[in-house]
Amino acid sequence: MNNNSFHVVVDKALEDLIPVFMRNRHKEVETLKAALAAADFEQLRQLGHRMKGVGNSYGFEQVSVFGRQVEEGARSGDRASLAACIAQYGEYLAKVQIAYQ
Amino acid sequence: MSSMTDLFTPAPPAQAANAFRVLVVDDDPDMAALLARLLQKEGMAVETVHDGDAALVHAMSSAPDLILLDVMLPGLSGFEVCERLKGDEATALIPIVLVTALEDTQSRVRGIEAGCDDFLSKPIKSEELIARVKTLRRLHETRRELEARRLAAEYQRKETIRKAFLRYVSPRLAERIIAGLGEEEGPFQSHAQRIDVVALFADLRGFTRLTESVDVDKVVGMLNEYFAVTTEAAYRQEGTIFSISGDCLLVGFNVPFPQPDAAVRAWHAAKDMIASFAPVLANWTGRGGVSTGMGIGIASGEAIIGNIGSPHHMSYTIIGDAVNTAARLMQMARAGELLVSGPVYEEIRGLVPSGSTSSRGNIALRGKSEATAVYSIELAS
Repeated sequence: MNNNSFHVVVDKALEDLIPVFMRNRHKEVETLKAALAAADFEQLRQLGHRMKGVGNSYGFEQVSVFGRQVEEGARSGDRASLAACIAQYGEYLAKVQIAYQ
Repeated sequence: MSSMTDLFTPAPPAQAANAFRVLVVDDDPDMAALLARLLQKEGMAVETVHDGDAALVHAMSSAPDLILLDVMLPGLSGFEVCERLKGDEATALIPIVLVTALEDTQSRVRGIEAGCDDFLSKPIKSEELIARVKTLRRLHETRRELEARRLAAEYQRKETIRKAFLRYVSPRLAERIIAGLGEEEGPFQSHAQRIDVVALFADLRGFTRLTESVDVDKVVGMLNEYFAVTTEAAYRQEGTIFSISGDCLLVGFNVPFPQPDAAVRAWHAAKDMIASFAPVLANWTGRGGVSTGMGIGIASGEAIIGNIGSPHHMSYTIIGDAVNTAARLMQMARAGELLVSGPVYEEIRGLVPSGSTSSRGNIALRGKSEATAVYSIELAS
């Protein structure tokens, strides 16, 4: 993840959808943390799969990247890398800058 | 996925009326909202549902023009929804686009087996989404247009046949024929057939002479009154009107459909004609001292049935011995009298009131080498 990853350009037609999208992503971080604490790797895999699909569809490529990492981490049961990834995801959401065009 | 269903759902924008209607099925509210928004930008009307069962119910009740269907859904999976919709005649033609991950080859194979029409990859690229939907929309609209044209042509064909039928048979029988009509041309076939028929001829005694003493403008009205009651009597027995000429009516039975009781139907039609005509006649007599009555002849035998005429004027026609004999019997019949040939009498003798029948013996009819047994039945009261 580099500095460019925090700058996202979103289609103007989707602007009014973004507040709900972002709220859902923040909520997703909490759900990921809870699933990891419960060692629910199936739920983690499913959540990762969804992040992968929805992130880039809205223009948030990095959300899809995190999604792929969560999916792979859940498959391998790698709790440490999952914890790191979820933490990075939370950090990303806090810093991301959105422009509309 | 329970973890997704408690996410916030964006409010849907207003929909255009009469737009191309798309059903978006995705349990992720963000993905459903995104797909809906991109399609609405193109002027399409979008409904979203979030599980397989709701998708099935919605598709069956509102028949959308296209369905965007996620694979992983709570309840029925996208594959199951697709299979069920494609297996139902009412929804089989709705195009279905399965939304899958690009690398998920297994899902794509399963989707093809389930009958889906196209795939869309996640993450969604708006250009790809719109291009695929527009292509399917064109195909769908072309298919719908062709179906509408086929239905219109089918309706036109049945209307043409119905109008042709109505010249010969009762509206009720015409509707029955149309209802049972498949791709074939119907019972009034273009090729001739040789069939055993019962022919009934009826006309008014002395009407030609009578027209000389009645005002011209009244003659047509009188004939219309006469044919109105006699054709209705024929229709009540499901007879086929072959010709109306002057004051003469020719009705066929056992044609175009088999009528095992054809002679009995002809007998009932003859009785009904005389009875139905009686009040008309009484009115004529009362108004202008008109004295006439109906004579009827019935005979059975083989006849040729077919559409005869020129390319510009075709007529469903019956030709044969039975028709000639019935015509001769009608000419011989007095007002209120029914003359029937021997074979017809054998079929109806149990129905004829005793005392009203007499044998006319064997009569040599003009143009026939053998004498014909003829029975007279008095029908007029």
